[in-house]
This record gives sequence, structure tokens and C-alpha cells, in this order.
Amino acid sequence: MPQTLDRRRLLATAALGGVVGATGLGSLAPDAAFAAEAAAIEPGAPDPNFVEGRISKISGHLLLVLGSDTVLHSIRITDGTSIWKLHPTTFDQVAIGDGLYARGVRLPDGTLAADSVWVNIVNLHAHIAAVGRNLLHLDHKGQRIVAHVVQGRSAAVYNGTPAVSDLSLLRVGRHVQVLGAWHPDTNEIDIATVYAAA
Amino acid sequence: MAAIQGEVSWFCCGTAWGPCGTAGGGACGTCKSGNYQHAWPNTSDACYAITHPDTCGLSMSRRGCGFRHYTTNLCNGARVGTTIADCGPQTDLFCGERTCCGSACGSNRIIDLTPAAFSAIGSLSVGLRPCSVDTV
Repeated sequence: MPQTLDRRRLLATAALGGVVGATGLGSLAPDAAFAAEAAAIEPGAPDPNFVEGRISKISGHLLLVLGSDTVLHSIRITDGTSIWKLHPTTFDQVAIGDGLYARGVRLPDGTLAADSVWVNIVNLHAHIAAVGRNLLHLDHKGQRIVAHVVQGRSAAVYNGTPAVSDLSLLRVGRHVQVLGAWHPDTNEIDIATVYAAA
Repeated sequence: MAAIQGEVSWFCCGTAWGPCGTAGGGACGTCKSGNYQHAWPNTSDACYAITHPDTCGLSMSRRGCGFRHYTTNLCNGARVGTTIADCGPQTDLFCGERTCCGSACGSNRIIDLTPAAFSAIGSLSVGLRPCSVDTV
């Protein structure tokens, strides 16, 4: 998959001041973009090309991120960085206080030139405790989570069938996996996709 | 172990932000979202009693903490090696669920990867992928 390998080189080039066009990188399908990512990381070991934490400062196209393990990280957003925050979005939607996972390539100064950034993304395994108007109350590891239905975005996958916008088949007591975006410093999320068992 | 096919998802563990903040270190006590680790449905009798892959007709070997598996995303062929750090997924709750990329399909949830591991073979914004899992 030479196209994907080129993408990583281009990211580093872009972060170092080279010229790179977003259209030249953006044509890759999501799975294709990850097809050649098999880095030689020892199973069980931390991945140096991956960062998690919360954004403490935004300076130009540089994010300062405080990892949950209290390690500080610098993440550079390039023209080729894909950003997800409930849906694919742009850098101006990223805010201080947001949580994130990021993947990219390390520059010589330790900065991560981001290939992908997933902002506030959560993937919760939970039970439906209650169903309200345009929201679900979820029990997640003993915590109550309020999950909002976002018109035009939220979808449900019922036992592997194609995603549909109709969430009315979700019932109290059902086990679900909810992919969504957290509202920082709250127990609320917006729903991207609900995977519901049969 | 012959490779088995099924579905792969991801989960958070260790110190974390948001709703993941209560996840902890998993059944093995070592799980971290930034490590190449995974949850496996048969790490102990207690684990198996929760996940019950047999309910879905699956025979999954008993493997302990630290055991290595290699997961291939059937949508793109990308592969990642990880070690067991937790019990899961709860296979029996999604019996018969099927995920496809074109003609490449997987049925039943057989493994959950940490965000670092899952994002090495696919986008986190796609919560579920067909996969194969082997030991070499």
C-alpha cells in the first residue's frame, strides 16, 4: 500500500514546513488510510505514535495535551490531519478541555504530527436504563450517562443490519454499545452510533 | 490455535478522561488505553461465566493475562499484535451480530482492542470491524 506509506511521509513533511495539499491526502478511504500502519510495536507495549489526554492549550496548529498519566504531549495539526468530533470536522471545532486520542508520526523534537485525531470520542458498553425524548439514560459501569440523539447524525445498528436513523426500537434493559462524543466535564454524550443486540 | 473470525471493537482502560475515568486497569490490572493490549472472553472461569462465547456457538481457548494474539482487520488487511489485559467482550449479548466490509464479514464479538491497538488497524470512529485473530 505505497499510497498509505506516502501519506505518513507527507505528514511529517507537512509538519516540518513542507507543502502538502489536503486533497492529496483526503482521498484515502478510512480503512485504506490505516492499512499499512502495522508499526513494529511489541505486543503489550505503549505505542509512541499514539496519544491520549485532554487539551490544555491551543497555540496556532499545536495542541498541548495533558495525558491521563500526567505526561505532557505536543500534537501538531497539519493540512492532512483528519479530525473527528461526533463527525468529521475541522480544526476550529477543537477546544481547550476536550479529550482526545491521536495517532501520527513523531517528529525529531518529540511532537506528534497527527494523522488522525478523535476528539471526545467514547465507545461505551452499557444498558439502557430509561428512554426519554431524544435521549437515552445509560448504565455504564455503575455510572449514569445521558446520551443525546442528534438529529441527522445519530444512527442505530440493530444486530448488524445497516445503520438507520430510527432509534425507536431501542428498549429499556437492552445491552448496547454506544459510539459518541463526550460533553467535557459532564456525564453527557452525543450519540453517533448505537449498536444494539438482538 | 487456528485463526478465528469474528468482530473486533475497542474499549478504554487505565487512567482516562470522561466516562472512561472509572475503567481501571482491567481484569489483569495492567490495562492502559495507550498500550497494545486487548480483552479476551476466556481468561478465567469467572470471565467465561460473564462472556459465554459458547452461547453463540464459539469455542474460544482459555488464555491468561499477557498472552499474545494478532488481530487482522478484514477491511484492509492491517494487523496488530496485542497482549491480554482484560476480560471481554461480552460475546453472548451480541450473538449472531454480523459486520461486513463488502464480502469480508465477521460474526460475533471475539476481541476488544485498546484505542492504541485498534487505531493502528482502523479508525476509532468506526466502532466495529470484521476480523480474524490468531496466535502467530
